[in-house]
Amino acid sequence: MDVSVTVNGTTYARDVEPRKLLIHFLRDDLDLTGSHIGCDTGNCGACSVIVDGVLVKSCMLLAVQADGASIETVEGISENGELTPLQQSFNEHHALQCGYCTPGMLMSATALLRDNASPSDAEIKKALQGNICRCTGYWNIFEAVKAVAK
Amino acid sequence: MTEDSTTTVAPAPVEVQKGWAGQSVKRREDKRLLQGEGVFVDDIKRHGMGYLHFVRSPYAHAHITRIDVSAAEAVDGVYGTLTGEEVAALTDPFFQISSAPGANIKDYSLALGKVRFVGEPVVAVVAETRELARDASELVEVDYEPLAAVVDARHAQDADAPVLHDDAEGNLMWTGLYSWGDLDAAFAEADRVIEIPELHFHRFNSTPLECDGALVEFNRGVEQWTIHTNNQFPGFAAIMMGPAMKVGLDKLRFVTQDIGGGFGNKITSHPQLVVCCLLARKLNRPIQWTEWRTDFHLSMSHGNERWFRDTKVAVKDDGTLLGFRTKALDDAGAWLRYEPLGGVIWAQVTPGMYRWRHIELDFTQVATNKAPVSPNRGYSRMQHLWFTERVIDIVAKELDLDPVEVRKKNYIRAEDMPYETPNGCVYDSGDYARMLDLALELIDYDAMAGRKAAAKEQGKLLGVGIGSTLDSGTNNFGQSRLINPELQFSGNNEVATVKLDIFGEIVVTLGTTPQGQGHETTAAQVVADILNCALEDVHVRAGHDSYWNSHAGFSGTYASQFAVTGLSAVKGATEMLRDEIFKLAGAVFGGVPAEALELADGGIRIKENPDAFLPFMACGAIINANNAGLPEDLDVTLNCRYVYRPPFEVPDVETKFGNLTLTYAAQLHVAVVEIDPETGYYEIVDYAAVDDCGKRINPQIVEGQVMGATAQAIGAVIHETYEYDEDGNLLTPNFYDYHVPHALDMPPLATGAIESPSPFTPLGTKGMGEGGGAGIHAVCAAIQDATGVVVTDSHNPYRRVWEMLR
Amino acid sequence: MLLREVEYAKPGSVAQALELLAANDGARALAGGQTLINVMKARAASPDMLVDLNGLAELRGIELAADGTLTIGAMTTYTELMRSAEAKARPILGEVCATIADVQVRNRGTIGGNVCANDPTNHLPPLMVAVGARMTIAGAAGEREVTAEEFFLGVYMTAVGQGELLTKIAIPAGKKDGFAAVTLGTEGTCICNAAATVNGSVRVALGCVDAVPVLVTADSPDGIAEAVRAAGIEPPSDVHASAEYRLHLAAVLATRAAQEAAAR
Repeated sequence: MDVSVTVNGTTYARDVEPRKLLIHFLRDDLDLTGSHIGCDTGNCGACSVIVDGVLVKSCMLLAVQADGASIETVEGISENGELTPLQQSFNEHHALQCGYCTPGMLMSATALLRDNASPSDAEIKKALQGNICRCTGYWNIFEAVKAVAK
Repeated sequence: MTEDSTTTVAPAPVEVQKGWAGQSVKRREDKRLLQGEGVFVDDIKRHGMGYLHFVRSPYAHAHITRIDVSAAEAVDGVYGTLTGEEVAALTDPFFQISSAPGANIKDYSLALGKVRFVGEPVVAVVAETRELARDASELVEVDYEPLAAVVDARHAQDADAPVLHDDAEGNLMWTGLYSWGDLDAAFAEADRVIEIPELHFHRFNSTPLECDGALVEFNRGVEQWTIHTNNQFPGFAAIMMGPAMKVGLDKLRFVTQDIGGGFGNKITSHPQLVVCCLLARKLNRPIQWTEWRTDFHLSMSHGNERWFRDTKVAVKDDGTLLGFRTKALDDAGAWLRYEPLGGVIWAQVTPGMYRWRHIELDFTQVATNKAPVSPNRGYSRMQHLWFTERVIDIVAKELDLDPVEVRKKNYIRAEDMPYETPNGCVYDSGDYARMLDLALELIDYDAMAGRKAAAKEQGKLLGVGIGSTLDSGTNNFGQSRLINPELQFSGNNEVATVKLDIFGEIVVTLGTTPQGQGHETTAAQVVADILNCALEDVHVRAGHDSYWNSHAGFSGTYASQFAVTGLSAVKGATEMLRDEIFKLAGAVFGGVPAEALELADGGIRIKENPDAFLPFMACGAIINANNAGLPEDLDVTLNCRYVYRPPFEVPDVETKFGNLTLTYAAQLHVAVVEIDPETGYYEIVDYAAVDDCGKRINPQIVEGQVMGATAQAIGAVIHETYEYDEDGNLLTPNFYDYHVPHALDMPPLATGAIESPSPFTPLGTKGMGEGGGAGIHAVCAAIQDATGVVVTDSHNPYRRVWEMLR
Repeated sequence: MLLREVEYAKPGSVAQALELLAANDGARALAGGQTLINVMKARAASPDMLVDLNGLAELRGIELAADGTLTIGAMTTYTELMRSAEAKARPILGEVCATIADVQVRNRGTIGGNVCANDPTNHLPPLMVAVGARMTIAGAAGEREVTAEEFFLGVYMTAVGQGELLTKIAIPAGKKDGFAAVTLGTEGTCICNAAATVNGSVRVALGCVDAVPVLVTADSPDGIAEAVRAAGIEPPSDVHASAEYRLHLAAVLATRAAQEAAAR
């Protein structure tokens, strides 16, 4: 099936099997390998992206369902190659180790802060609940997000 | 996590820090990872590559009576297949570490004639797309003749137990008796002998978020494979793969870059890598293999499950610990992929933190129809230290003594350091009592009595528990001879190269395979200090490539050693480079002696005449591109390779005596739990973690390791378990049933640190990162404290706590 | 990952969706996909065709009638329910939805998908039974309405037949509701749950203990535990809980949910 999506401002048109998951489409067909795969069951959130303004796990969406959508991935967060305040805060607070969950974490934090510039501690934790990290124990991720919340 | 979730209590360092080492320099790896520009193994593509999918066993134990791949191979877009029979024709079985009977098993990279656990790879199918490879794998016909399975290690040696490996003539893989001191005298001297019938350490692992994988290319002209992989110990993979594939190690080029977590679980992917290699050659195209989460759970690197039975502890009435006897029964799963090394690794920390001198441990490892075990963060020491910490708390309960006092009475004291343990390990430094005081202060231990009473009024049970671990690091591989005296391994090593390139770039190459430990950052800190230059001037290459000649037999990132082996290699190579820069400058300046020179501002100058300055750029240019007229005897390349070799002796095989690791970092954790007695549901409401890993090159990175290991312990003790039913089906094959803690599950955490520099390492550092087991011990102790019931299992989900309270 | 081949259709109306479902025995409706896609990854289910209901505006939306009845379109997401001013008329709905899975799943997952999946560990089947929801099912023959008690037939089975769709759920007015669960980790998968509503007597629906929610009633919260024990429930055993533990939890959680409901 023909699919046309705009990812981080660039429009891509491809012929896609209906069964292909959006995450495989992004990674394998569009070579946008920043979003990752960490599970089979929709639990880990490493594949989180924003589709038409809504944070989703791209492993539970078919690529064909995203036809016509505007998608934001980790590759689109920075402007001109410079780290954003959120990304800098992750660096400052040592909020990543292996970095595999980080793209998904950043998308979840981005969606949170867009929706709610001044989240409470509880809201930050709840916003990150759908993203598994096996390296940090989340404490520093929490601190990194909190530091950029107003 | 509260607003002030992290409190760092760092006492003044023992020595005044200068320069970069000791500073929490921000990580240089982060930028690419934060921008989605890391290169993880599944990100790599090659023209014409084929995707590999494994057909896996649905049975825990069965004969394979027929395999037919013709329907799969007939599918348009399928490139080919590989079966166990082909593997057996092309390769030898993997080398076995074990002495007999484990030595006799024949382990190939695909099942041959028989399957021995659910999820075992049986056939590999390669196709044009991932989806097609999986489709075709469903067309592979495999006929099985199911056999009875053995799932419980305690029954593996029963007379009627099904035997996994006929070559081993039973399920016993390895056994060894360890006995040190005078047990009879200790038990004669004891006022009391505490008996503990059975303790069980459960099966789980660290589930790195990225599973295993590889992209393997075969260069037909030079008959060499390039293996892009996330294997974290290429040195070990090479030793396993070369002989099996009957090729020299120069034919196996290992390349890694970013690795999505390892925790030991990515050491034993060599069988899958061999399959990729054989298929790359057979099909003449690059082979891409990505392991999915369910595959990983079913088949990869479970942590050692261990039973401690018939434990007897000799104690005095005042809580003085004299010694213990126990029988350790270790469940290896179906294959010995790194085992039975777990049968000796525990002995690195034989007495735990305590001064008891009379210890006997009868170790037996058996095979079962479950996934093979392999190293997992805290490998084998975690199991043993959980046991010792359980013993301490059970003794305290039996004697009605305060667990704090029993610990303090028996701790190895700061003034005893370096301390030789009953089995010859030499604890390098530490102050356990001080760590405990600090942890208790962080948790406000004095307030516990009041909090317990308050909880009781709310119908809750509050308990506090202490758990400690020793993170023994930098293995003496000579300990493998206690498993098998025939083995020719000993000592350890790691390599770094540091060079000055034409334009003065300082380029550092590591032998290690970091998975988030920040090696690019800490190595740069060490180099910049020695060369007295800016951190930005140091370029540390990302990842590992065995083509760089910057590796040795034990290269990799595992077993808590980078801060010692990796950074000592970096230090050694950088000092070589420094000395060469001095030599070169001396010659360029016309015979100025080294003592008259100094490094500064990215170059070298004459102390008394700072205007006589040779920038590194000039040094690099002279040696590499402008070297006419230099003195003939100037022995300078500005490309320095250093192999760090820790000072080890081969342990005595007869007495099983010797120093098994170089450093012994310590962790002391305290957990407070609050239990809902009606449901068994509980939460960790407060937590403190104190770490001592000697000199910290980058305290923030160290603290990050402490936090991550703590989180894994919390997950393991409450939720994470690889539990099987009686037919050998894994009940937790994905993150839906294998619950990994998320952000809402994390308790408030206070961290603290003391620094007891190691007297045995070049930088005073100790390996660290594997100390998280302390959290398991602490939570078990806290549950025991809250419920008043002895905790006998390392896994305590709500249902178990409820059962304890019944 | 890696689903079997499947056809994909995106109907422009409910009528079209029903036609597609009726014409293909192997067709399945795709709601939020937060369960179905995962089942398909495991290849435990392999429909021939997915009929994507996303984009059908007639299946979305929340209406509050003058008598306090809420009518919720089947494709309304958990997030929409949490944020809806109308849905606050029955506060328990948004409260429970806020504890389902995580933000990403709540953004895609729908109330209709949750009840139609009828996974015994789901939150909403017992809640629907407790509050006395009525489900509207559309098919070739038109619409019919069933009660929540009639709706749930077995594990993964509901009154929605082949060629039919759940289109909306009506929930009567009420505020005195409660929900209690023991979950895997904080706000995780339910090991056992109970939804309660108090309206004169106490009505508790238990999840995770049988193929369908088990309804238990009593005169007061104090009597509910005994009613649970007398209900003859035989819960399943699995890696997370023994039958015995689940039965015990059912009584405890039923009481807690009922107490919460009564206290409102």
